[in-house]
Amino acid sequence: MEYVSPEGLRIDGRRPMEMRKLHAEMGVVAKADGSAVFVMGNTKVIAAVYGPREVQNRSQQMSDQALVRCEYSMANFSTGDRMRKGKGDRRSTEISLVVRQTMEACILTHLMPRSQIDIYVQVLQADGGTRCACINAATLALADAAIPMRDLVTSCSAGYLNSTPLLDLNYVEDSAGGPDVTVGILPKMDKVTLLQMDSKLPIDTFDNVMQLAIEGCKAVATYIREVLLENTKQLEYHRGV
Amino acid sequence: MAVEEKPEELVTPGEVLGRAAELRAGKGAYVAAHNGLVYASLTGRARTVPPSPDSPDQRPMVEVIGLKAHGAVPEPGSIVIARVTKVMARLASVDIMCVGPKSVREKFTGTIRQQDVRATEIDKVDMHSSFRPGDTVRALVLSLGDARAYYLSTAKNDLGVVSAESAAGATMIPISWTEMQCPLTGQIEQRKVAKIGS
Repeated sequence: MEYVSPEGLRIDGRRPMEMRKLHAEMGVVAKADGSAVFVMGNTKVIAAVYGPREVQNRSQQMSDQALVRCEYSMANFSTGDRMRKGKGDRRSTEISLVVRQTMEACILTHLMPRSQIDIYVQVLQADGGTRCACINAATLALADAAIPMRDLVTSCSAGYLNSTPLLDLNYVEDSAGGPDVTVGILPKMDKVTLLQMDSKLPIDTFDNVMQLAIEGCKAVATYIREVLLENTKQLEYHRGV
Repeated sequence: MAVEEKPEELVTPGEVLGRAAELRAGKGAYVAAHNGLVYASLTGRARTVPPSPDSPDQRPMVEVIGLKAHGAVPEPGSIVIARVTKVMARLASVDIMCVGPKSVREKFTGTIRQQDVRATEIDKVDMHSSFRPGDTVRALVLSLGDARAYYLSTAKNDLGVVSAESAAGATMIPISWTEMQCPLTGQIEQRKVAKIGS
C-alpha cells in the first residue's frame, strides 16, 4: 500500500514533516487539582491530576519524596469498534508505566515528601499517537495543578514508510507495520526522557527519524507554552489582577 | 545606584530565570546543579525580591507566583480549628478543619493527649470532662506527630472547646473555665472551655 504518494502527500493529505493540528484546553475537570484535554488531529485525550495529597496506601509512603501514580485507560467508544475493557490489559499497563516514569522524572518530587500525586489519562478518541497525546496532556494537567516541575515534557512520534521519515503517525500509518519511534523530551533542557521504538531500523535512518520526532516535540512545546501563558492571562483577568 | 524596575514576566516551567551566582531560587524556582542556572518550576509571574540588608547572602531571590493556591497544611505553632471525633481515656482524636483563617482541602487527623489538655495538674485530667465527640475545639499544633496524626495542645486560656452541643441538641453557653450550660434544659456539662477575646 502507498503511504506517501509520488507528489509527496500522505493518506490524510499531510506532507511527511507535517504534524497534525494541535488543540489543548486546561481546567476541564472541576473536581481535579489540575486537568487538560489534548487533541492531536483525531486523537483526543483527557488527563486529570490529583495531588499532592495524603498517601492512601501507607506501605508505599516515601519519607523523602512524593509517590507518583499513573493510570492509562481507553474509553469503550475511543476506537472504531466498541472495546470491552479499556484498562487492565497489557498494553494499558505498559503505557501507564511509561507515562508514570516519564512524568516522575520531571516532577520535583523531593519538595513534597510523604504525599501522592495521581495522574489519570483517558483516551477519548484513538487515531494513533495516543501515548504521545497522553504525555502532553499529563504535562498540561500537572502545570494546571501547580505541581513544581523541572521542565515541560512533550512527546511526539515519527515513523519510516515508503523510504520517507514521517512525523506524527496516525492509526493507519501506525498499523502499517513499519517502525514507530516515540520520543519524549524536556524541551528547554534539551534532554530525552522517553525513547521507544517498534519494529527495526538501520542506525543512520533511526538517527534521522529520531531527530524528526524531536523537532515535533519542540513544536508541541511551543504550542503548550502558548496555551499555558494564555490560560494564566485568562485566570488573572478573571481575578481582576 | 538606581535599581531598574522590570515588569514581572509570565514564565512557564523550564524557563531560565537567571544564574545561580546572581540569584537565589525561591518558591516556584530551582537551581540546576549541572549548569548553575535558575529555572522556573511553576507557571506564573516571576518576581525578584531584594535581599534584606543584614543577611549574609546578598543575592536577590526570585520566586514564581502561581495563581492556584494549594490547600493549607498545619505547621508546628499554628492555631487550628478541629472537630472532636473520638474521646478515649488518655487522648482525644480530632479532625482538623481550618488552619488559621483558611480551611483545609483534605482533612488531617490530630491528637490531643491527656498531658496537653491544660497547663496545670496535667496527670489528673479526665478526658471525658474535657471533650465530647462533636465539639469544636481551638488548638495549637505542637508537632507533626506520628504517621497517623498531628499532636495538638489546648493548654492555654484561649484554647479549648469553643462550641459544643448539649445532649438536648442546643448550642451550649460557656459559664466558666470548666463548664458549659444548655440554654434549653439548663443542664451543665463539663468541658475545657476556651476564653476567646479579651
